[in-house]
Amino acid sequence: MLENVLNAVAAGLIIGCLYGLMCIGLGLIFGIMKVVNFAQGELLMLGMYVSLYLVGGFVALGILGPYIGPFVAALLAGPVLFVGGALLHRFLISHVSGLSIASRTETGGFGQLIVTLGISLILQNGGLIVFGSTPKSVLTPLSARAFILGPFPGGALLFLNQARVYSCAVAIVVAIVLWLVMERTRLGKSLRAAADNPVAATYMGIDVDRAYRIAFGLGAGITAIAGGLMATYLTFTPFVGLDYVIIMYSGVVLGGMGSILGAFWGGLTVGFVQQVSALVLPPQLQNAAIFVVFLLIVGLRPEGLFGRSAERA
Amino acid sequence: MPATTTIGRRTALGLGLASLGRPALAAAKPVKIGMLMPFTGPWAREGILERLGAEMAIAGVNAAGGIRALGGAQLILVPYDTQDTAERAKDGATRMIADHPDLIAGIGCWLSTFTLAATEVSERAKLPWLTHGYSDAITARGFHYVFDTSAPASYQAAHTVPAMLAMARAAGKHPTKVAIIGDNTAASVSFTKPLRTHVLKDLGLKLVLDETYTPPLADASGLVQPLRAAGADFLLLASSNVPDDKLLLDALHEFGLSGHLPALTEGGHMVAPEVVQTTGTHIVQGMMAVVTNWPGPGTGPLVERFMKRTKEPWMGQESIFAYGHIMLLRYLLEHGAAATKPGIAQGLRRIDITDGPARYFPGHRLQFDAKGLRVGATLVIVQWQGGKPVSVYPPDTATSKAIWA
Repeated sequence: MLENVLNAVAAGLIIGCLYGLMCIGLGLIFGIMKVVNFAQGELLMLGMYVSLYLVGGFVALGILGPYIGPFVAALLAGPVLFVGGALLHRFLISHVSGLSIASRTETGGFGQLIVTLGISLILQNGGLIVFGSTPKSVLTPLSARAFILGPFPGGALLFLNQARVYSCAVAIVVAIVLWLVMERTRLGKSLRAAADNPVAATYMGIDVDRAYRIAFGLGAGITAIAGGLMATYLTFTPFVGLDYVIIMYSGVVLGGMGSILGAFWGGLTVGFVQQVSALVLPPQLQNAAIFVVFLLIVGLRPEGLFGRSAERA
Repeated sequence: MPATTTIGRRTALGLGLASLGRPALAAAKPVKIGMLMPFTGPWAREGILERLGAEMAIAGVNAAGGIRALGGAQLILVPYDTQDTAERAKDGATRMIADHPDLIAGIGCWLSTFTLAATEVSERAKLPWLTHGYSDAITARGFHYVFDTSAPASYQAAHTVPAMLAMARAAGKHPTKVAIIGDNTAASVSFTKPLRTHVLKDLGLKLVLDETYTPPLADASGLVQPLRAAGADFLLLASSNVPDDKLLLDALHEFGLSGHLPALTEGGHMVAPEVVQTTGTHIVQGMMAVVTNWPGPGTGPLVERFMKRTKEPWMGQESIFAYGHIMLLRYLLEHGAAATKPGIAQGLRRIDITDGPARYFPGHRLQFDAKGLRVGATLVIVQWQGGKPVSVYPPDTATSKAIWA
């Protein structure tokens, strides 16, 4: 029994950290810009494919080998999708978000829904044309290897999947770096100001549209890094995003909108509940457990689990 | 449902000869066959593998002069997409039949859930429908125009474990404890339910671990880790897609079970090329899959042609089923069936052959019972050996000896 508990808790924390990074990406877009982005799952998917092609298509990454190459590729997927996200914002999202539609609240939200849903469908089926339907994975021997800790009392052993452990470590580092950028740099302050009060931010000389563009690019890039890290142990197709978009929204709302740390903790909570619930519930109810906890928390704390600390931050 | 009767080869030949010189010959009108498959969405890969098999069959028929009994009529494949839900599959069937009222038959839809939905439409249009869906429900609705060439899930459930026990005995093992890990999709539930209720008990086997999950998996370690303590002699996996297969295979390896715990899963997805491409030869080694079709002895040239044409590393269940379905329709047309919906339906009800296209189906018999199920349909067990899936059961058509870890 102890072995089951240890492994479930460890898996929950490790998967949760990756969900946390994924949620930070959406947190920047949904939590800060208030854009309901149905295409967030597809940005995750693009991160996976960019990482795959960086590992397989470039000699430099090939030289790094199957142990380091996949993680470097996952990090490089971030800048690639940052540019992609910024362009997406410049040419599509900006028409249905930001200051230009602030006075048209009754129609702006609908525009976002339609545009991002359209982008999602285009990316899914465009992905099918470009990448094909064959499931892919970033190959690394780490995905089938474990660090074995123990024995603990009763002879219990703790198995930590190596690919997920390294991915988790990279996710935590990226989350901390992003948090520092948001808290300690002028760019971060301008992004937060644009999020809190776009009109006041404009009066303070902040280019709100530019701030939103950067926020969207960052959101896309961070989600892409999460996708690249997950690609080291998951198999994916152009439709993989559908499986994670609900988890992302749950994590962001659970953690408290508008906070980097809140989104991370929200994602971590979702991952933890998903894995640990299997100890007391049949595994087929893992995702149901997430939403029971989600409803409980939102019912008791509508501002989200970490909403207050987010406001203070 | 008309009573099942048989057409003797001479009778069939006579019908075929009798049809020569009729208006069909003069017109040589192309013959359209519909194919409704998931070409987009999560099951697109399987749909595309089906299309590759059908296209190769049609190209071969047309290159050889078309349907001679119809004056060299060319076969045309009319592909339609089910997309990713049963509702869209039903819409696809409606559109396909409305756009092409001259279809002689339809083939589809790989996923039983889609097939169940689409055949509601095809049945109303009296369009003969060939499928290899696993669900028993496909032929249990009293439909008259649906013909399933696959052994249904209930058959697979009843015969898979005895087959595994036979392989174990051949390796000098006598397993008594079994574990089940399966998802809750329709096909998996159809497969595991009889195992849980009576099959294992009837065979004197003890179920020591029984886990059901909802796909897709985020992590399989929570499912696989309890296996370490369960002490099972073999594992029955009822997963339904490649992404979950990878996680399960990686987890089995991670916990030191692969290579030590014989395991079998239901369905062709576990022996798709991408499984070894996304895991590794040593990870998949020994994993078995129960399927309802696989190229056996004597299909070597066909498989080679398929690999050369498509660049696929081998020909699996989906492609050979689609190939076989086209060759079955060709056989009917060449042997007297009119190139119409009623003509093909009548031909399917009457056919009873053990050669020709029958060699593309396990059991090597093409005859359908009153429900539309193929008589003699059986299962094939395929095992990963050296990075390639090879058939290991039944012994008379196996191309390799099973490895019982």
